[in-house]
Amino acid sequence: MKSSTIWFSVAGLSVAIILPFFLSQYWLHVMIISLFYVMMASSWNLLAGYTGQVSFAHAAFAGVGAYTSGMLSVFLGVSPWLGILIGIISAALLGLGLGVLCIRMGGIYLSLTTLGFSEIIRIIITNEDNWTRGTMGLQTPGLFVEYSKTGYYFIFLAVAVAIGVVIYKLIHSEWGLTMRAVLNDEIAASASGINTINVRLLAFTFTSAIAGLAGGLYGHYLMLVTPDIPSLGQMFLVLAMAVIGGMGSFAGPIVGSFVLEILSEYIREWGEYHVLIFGLIALAMARFAPEGLMGLWINKRKGHGHTN
Amino acid sequence: MGILIEGTQITKSFGGVTAVNGVDFHVLQGEIVGLIGPNGAGKTTLFNLITGLFSPDTGEITFAGKTLKGLKPFEICRLGIARTFQIVRPFLKMTCLENVLIGLIGKEGQTSRPQAKIRKARNIMQITGLAHLETRMAKDITLIEKKRLEVARALATGPKLILLDEVMAGLNLSEIQQASELIKKIRNDFNVTILWIEHVMGAIMKTSDRVIVMDQGKKIMEGKPDAVVADQRVIEAYLGQSDA
Repeated sequence: MKSSTIWFSVAGLSVAIILPFFLSQYWLHVMIISLFYVMMASSWNLLAGYTGQVSFAHAAFAGVGAYTSGMLSVFLGVSPWLGILIGIISAALLGLGLGVLCIRMGGIYLSLTTLGFSEIIRIIITNEDNWTRGTMGLQTPGLFVEYSKTGYYFIFLAVAVAIGVVIYKLIHSEWGLTMRAVLNDEIAASASGINTINVRLLAFTFTSAIAGLAGGLYGHYLMLVTPDIPSLGQMFLVLAMAVIGGMGSFAGPIVGSFVLEILSEYIREWGEYHVLIFGLIALAMARFAPEGLMGLWINKRKGHGHTN
Repeated sequence: MGILIEGTQITKSFGGVTAVNGVDFHVLQGEIVGLIGPNGAGKTTLFNLITGLFSPDTGEITFAGKTLKGLKPFEICRLGIARTFQIVRPFLKMTCLENVLIGLIGKEGQTSRPQAKIRKARNIMQITGLAHLETRMAKDITLIEKKRLEVARALATGPKLILLDEVMAGLNLSEIQQASELIKKIRNDFNVTILWIEHVMGAIMKTSDRVIVMDQGKKIMEGKPDAVVADQRVIEAYLGQSDA
């Protein structure tokens, strides 16, 4: 690990730990939501940025995690912690299934299939209102007996850091190297003895599990699980965070999550238009700074400020 | 010397075009065999059939006594067949060292430690003359270096047989000389059998033990290099039939 990386991590963590003692309840809420997006965007980046599988089903898997845990706790009285675990497993299994279905496809076909899957999940959840309460939303219990925003903040922080560490280790391991090889040239990777199908499936399953975990936590924090979680609007927000922050870099999606979530609090009054703004920013970034904010930052530090 | 790889009656068609048509071939353990023929003769298609990128319509390829039928490219590579590509395919956005490491990971998987793999990769880069490019991105090196990098990556998979597809195209005379030395070295020092496609006739005739000639999907001739260049069918395939 580079010394600058360690320095940034330590500084970031220290700030994160003392932060809740200075923030209002409102900004603490914004931080918790940002940490949810850190989990989502980082794992989506692992899938799209490192193995080139641009999936639109990531928010759907968060929905699977949220609804699995939510319904288990509401109807069977299962503890939310166990529910979240079962949600992770459900998301992983569904991810594996969808991964198998998509494995012969690449590029746009994979994207379209996952888009279709995502809509199927949302439609099922919206229509099966006996179980899910449809668009009304399912009221779920919280993680703590006594509500504590600070408690939620530290849970979200711990999980986000743990996910970050695992992803960091993974992309700097031989697995990460094979993922990049698959992204660079699948035929050459295969001719070099890499089981490219395994690499892609593992990435699909693992990142789906993380989305399930993020969704499960999110549901028990909001204590109201709605079809907004597995919606495409949510998906595009995650995508915008990864793209604007910088796809294919470790820090990119983390930076993107905080920047966009905090920014969206300021332009919330514009209603639906704030998603439009993010879309335009993402487009501009994709055109002029394809490596995102992180790419701009790294280029600047190297001393040549242009990007192309 | 036993037979390492053998193909019988290999045929592959794409739509109406028969790219490889009833070809029999074999390579003995430790041989250097040249595969020549005009453009479109089916040489690269034969490579793609051996490495499992395509599967033959009819015929069978056996390697070290085992059939390759139904095996995927990565399985064939792990059996001991490595290749380079005519149109180079290094991992462009990875460093040269990482490119070579992929070959080692493909062969050894998680059975060896990353540090041990890095040592081996460096050694292979030394032998193939790439040591100075370790940290360079593969997209930033010259075409000739990319071709060498593909050879290094193929060597890293620990092959018994290596298929080289026009590694000398675009090289000048002294570079061709070096490449020929490298090919002999791979055979002699690494005990790797070589089947190679080349248009540089001087090099292929000097370095090969045996030459197979293809034209329009068929094998038209095989034999010692000097017998091949003197053969009427080979001359016609390259220069056309005389009207007289």
